[in-house]
Amino acid sequence: MAELLASGGTPEMVRAVLDNGADAVYVGAKGWSRRRAQYEMDDDQVLVSAEYARSLGKILRVAFNTLPASREIPLLLAKVEKFTSAGIRDFILTDVGAMRELSLRFPGIRIHASVGCTIINSDDAWFYKDAGATRIVAECRMGREEMRRIREEVGVGLEVLVHATTCYTLLGRCTMSSYTRQESRVDAEGKNHFLGSPNRGGLCYRVCLAEWNQVGENGETEAERLILPNQAYFLVDDIPALIDLGVDTIKIQGREYSVPLVGRMVRFYRALIDAYMEDRSSFRIDPWKEQMAGIVSARDGERREKTKGLISESLGA
Amino acid sequence: MPGIELIVSVSSPRELDGTELAPFDSVCLGNPYCRRVEGNYAEQLPLLPGAVSSLREAGKKVYVTSPAAPRGRDLPQVERLIEAASRAGAQALEVHNMGVLRILREKGNPLAAHMGAYANVYTHLGAKVMRDYGAVRVRPNAEVSLREMEIIAREAEIEVEVLAHGKIPLGVTDRCSLLTEAEDADPNCPSACRKDHWLTSRDPALRSGSPPGKGEIREGGWVLKTVGKGILSGRDMCMLEHLPGLLSAGFSVFRIEGLYESAAYRSEIGGVYREALELAASGRTYGVRREWAETVRRHAHVGLCNGYHFGKTGRLYIGSVLQKGNSVL
Repeated sequence: MAELLASGGTPEMVRAVLDNGADAVYVGAKGWSRRRAQYEMDDDQVLVSAEYARSLGKILRVAFNTLPASREIPLLLAKVEKFTSAGIRDFILTDVGAMRELSLRFPGIRIHASVGCTIINSDDAWFYKDAGATRIVAECRMGREEMRRIREEVGVGLEVLVHATTCYTLLGRCTMSSYTRQESRVDAEGKNHFLGSPNRGGLCYRVCLAEWNQVGENGETEAERLILPNQAYFLVDDIPALIDLGVDTIKIQGREYSVPLVGRMVRFYRALIDAYMEDRSSFRIDPWKEQMAGIVSARDGERREKTKGLISESLGA
Repeated sequence: MPGIELIVSVSSPRELDGTELAPFDSVCLGNPYCRRVEGNYAEQLPLLPGAVSSLREAGKKVYVTSPAAPRGRDLPQVERLIEAASRAGAQALEVHNMGVLRILREKGNPLAAHMGAYANVYTHLGAKVMRDYGAVRVRPNAEVSLREMEIIAREAEIEVEVLAHGKIPLGVTDRCSLLTEAEDADPNCPSACRKDHWLTSRDPALRSGSPPGKGEIREGGWVLKTVGKGILSGRDMCMLEHLPGLLSAGFSVFRIEGLYESAAYRSEIGGVYREALELAASGRTYGVRREWAETVRRHAHVGLCNGYHFGKTGRLYIGSVLQKGNSVL
């Protein structure tokens, strides 16, 4: 049965997603995950949240999925040592070198190769499996045939994001945000938060969502009010097929959303998955799509406000 | 200049024609963004033997790039590309995708791997993994500073390539933004990306002054260059005034990014950097010559930048000689 994984941006959100039916929750170690610090947790919060998950027989996964600087590797190793000593065995990583290093130093840990790895073909999946990944996150536009090949031929666990954004560029291969603004902010532990780099520090200013004009080489306007496509999406229709395919993890992103909204998303997917598992032959998707419409509307409202704020913030350079 | 290598990238015979190659030690053939670029050496494999042999006869090292973001359906072509590049006598395959790196190794092909700008090399540990797969050179991600690159080179014991001049690769996608229809149905493909297209931000808060006039690309806000399946910096990375520092830090492999530029751009910028590198390596007093500055400014429609190399915002210019002429943002 596919694991339902959801976001834990705060200890309160961790409790909400687990109480609402998620099998596992992921949290970001402060300074180390693909979100800004306000949606990450300090070590004590991680440990308390892990204890709560364990008390329910569920899993807490810690994201170290930014791409660090070489000199920060000792900080990473020390933090993982601390967490594994406290019984945490599940991690999310992007840097392939860090992945190999952790898999060698901490035998038995489970590593998810993050969406930031941009795994788009089955040979990518082989590469990350060889480096120590036990589960890989499929790039957001990956087709089912490629997923099937990874599942059957590569033999590595497969995670699919059912609520996320399909950036205009391939996620994990984009530096548009840090090109417009990047700041160095080193915390007390010595970790640079690389503000403005989603790959390195998690904060993306979403400059792709600004309005653009396209101008030709002679200065002529070719298109006005262009929006580079960057859509937030929910997968609903695909859930039965993903389950049939044997997908190992169904993930709901959303650390930056409100706790009630994330709780609502989790309840929806929990009920949908359970309903399909209970009776696949008579399952009908249409009623679920109607329910989803309300969640989409609430999510879009929160996302619009956040995007406006981020673009304005990037101008402060 | 023994030990120093200046590389230029060219997509196709159209880009190669008219490009003065004398300043360059090496040529990287092909376009990693789009398989449909007309004459793309990485796609039109029958072009490779002739191009590679003529360049090698001219004393150049020849590398061939590979797709930055190949889907599963593209991998058979990648396998053919590896074979064709190897048979043609290319000396390395530029690799951006880990699956491609794995295929190169699994095929047992002796072609060396040079990790490209989209390979996301950020740490020495990552570079070591790639080295163990056959990579002998890495070009770290644009966000990686020169200081970090020094660590990568030292700790991973691998050659590091530095972008010295040209547009910075900022993003890759598999949907062409210059087309309105599917690629094989849109009459603008593959001609749309032959011309320059710029994205200028519209947000009132990002604009200053009047819109650009004919023939003028002005940075009133953010400006990026779009090539359909890729986003490049609007400004040109420029390390001209920092070459002595680069050499003393131990860097010796430099790229002039020539994709989607004119032959005059590649030729003249290459000429400037050849002269400048010779001066910087000579030990004589180094300074940016007036004619060099004029050349790089003439070709930089939106201005110059190099912030990433110094751990700063990418579009900023760090230096004391060439910063004038950049607009505020």
